[in-house]
Amino acid sequence: MRSASLLLCAAMLAFGACARANAATPAADAAATPAACRLHAGEKVVLFSAGGDPAVFVWDSPVRLRDYNAASYDEAQAMAVRATLVAPGTRALVASCRHNYVQSPYSEQPDDAVGITIITGPQRGHDYWVLGSDVRRVSHVAVPAP
Amino acid sequence: MKLSAPLARVTGTLLLTAFLLVALAVAVQGAFQTRASIADTFARQASIEQAQIALEELLRLQIYEESLLRGYSLTHDTFYVDQYQEAVADFDAKVAAIRTTLAAQRLDSVRLMLEQYVGLQARWRSTIAAPMLSHPDRQLLEMDKRNKFLSDYETKIVEAIRNALANTNAELARTTQTELDRSSYARTFWLLVFGLLAILFNGFRSRLYQELEEEKNTTEILQRAFRSESVPLPNCRIGSAYLSAGSHLAVGGDVFDVYRLSNSLALLLIADVSGKGVDAAVLTAFIKFTIRGIALRRRDPGAILGEFNTAFAQTVENPYLFVSMFVGVLDTDSLLLTYASAGHDSAFMRRSSGVQQLAVTGPVLGVMEEPFGTKSVIMEDGDILVLATDGLTEARKRTGEQLRETGAIDLIAAASDDPQLLADELVAQVRALGGNHPRDDLAILAIRADPPKAAPHA
Repeated sequence: MRSASLLLCAAMLAFGACARANAATPAADAAATPAACRLHAGEKVVLFSAGGDPAVFVWDSPVRLRDYNAASYDEAQAMAVRATLVAPGTRALVASCRHNYVQSPYSEQPDDAVGITIITGPQRGHDYWVLGSDVRRVSHVAVPAP
Repeated sequence: MKLSAPLARVTGTLLLTAFLLVALAVAVQGAFQTRASIADTFARQASIEQAQIALEELLRLQIYEESLLRGYSLTHDTFYVDQYQEAVADFDAKVAAIRTTLAAQRLDSVRLMLEQYVGLQARWRSTIAAPMLSHPDRQLLEMDKRNKFLSDYETKIVEAIRNALANTNAELARTTQTELDRSSYARTFWLLVFGLLAILFNGFRSRLYQELEEEKNTTEILQRAFRSESVPLPNCRIGSAYLSAGSHLAVGGDVFDVYRLSNSLALLLIADVSGKGVDAAVLTAFIKFTIRGIALRRRDPGAILGEFNTAFAQTVENPYLFVSMFVGVLDTDSLLLTYASAGHDSAFMRRSSGVQQLAVTGPVLGVMEEPFGTKSVIMEDGDILVLATDGLTEARKRTGEQLRETGAIDLIAAASDDPQLLADELVAQVRALGGNHPRDDLAILAIRADPPKAAPHA
């Protein structure tokens, strides 16, 4: 079922429709941030992956983030091209959060999808979605002047 | 064949003992089985914990490989290449160790995940590491996304393996707990069974001893009722004694009787019934009064025994009961003793010349239809006829050796001249031999020829 959805999505990608359909800006989603989320809108964070590679994949929609993490190896490999890789240590502001939105078949616990606005690095000023486990809360992150 | 009450009681005791032994065996076997099962579970847990440690080491080596590759990319120092090769070798060795453990523990699903992980790492080496090692000038950034994808995927699989091993270990811990709980419940159960059986056993034994004691008392009352008192006979003095076996045994069927058939004839009887208890005691009454009845009509002891043997065979249906018996008819005027002995060899005549054993004249009663011979002997003044049951000749010394006829003869020869004293002394000797716990009942009947002495002429 999920494969069919992804295939359909891949076909729609050719027309740029899928991206629009899945598009949900973190800012627009801010009002929906549930209290159960570990992070809250406005918090300063640093991106850092606890896996083998500390760089972080960020996504332009929460649905794509969820589908990538739920996909099989081949599906995920195909979808990875749509992700943006940001360097570890990139700073961001939390815009919104979806509690337990991402469920990986390899993990027993679901993860949050966190909407962020990147404030450092080449992707500065862009909105993305990232896994909750790839986000570190820091209080001393200074927001650079625009 | 219907079981007799004592036999049923003994069977019940044996069954109860057998139940106790079976319960004990089951409890012991269960304890050993539980121990083996728990030991096996602990061994499996230890093995899986080893695999868990090896898996973490594997993940560390994977990250180490990537770090070394990055180091080489940045510095082009071959030191990183050497270290990288060592890390690869270590990684492969760890994989082999985990494979062995998972195969031994039959964790096939985890093995599949491990193979997937190993495949990904091989793909990472071929698509990321090998090109980088061949062209260190190549920009790592070009492959960063692919590196990230593979690395993340490997991390996910490792987490899944980690979870699976942890779950297996938790399941084994639960199994151990269950096994321990089950073992505790089983032990409690068997403890209760033991306790109940022990209580039952104790109660059963107490009741058994109580019944045996009551039966013994009844038997002794019967025997006292059936035993003759000393009947005075002309020209004779009579002594008698009776020794009952120890309290832990049922009373036997010994009987003796002195009965006056006429003014000058007396019936002398001693018999020993095989078996013990009320049946034997009642049989002594049957013997005593039947012999008296026959002796009133017949005066020949052999004929008396023959007729009794027929009556015995027709009356007593128990094939395991038989009787040894000595019957004498004593003419108190002439002191002529005619006698017949049905397998009863404990009959002695003590004379001034010594003690003689009176001959057996036929088989024990209740075995076969055989004629019984009659013998006679004149008793002289001072002669003592000593009739005893087999409690005398079969009395055991402390060494375990039986007294036998020769020992009995020695005791009789050494005993007092007075028949009552003689009987008492024999009983005392047997009691002393058996340490006050004789194995069998003992009846003694002693008749001394004691005609009045003619007054000496002036």
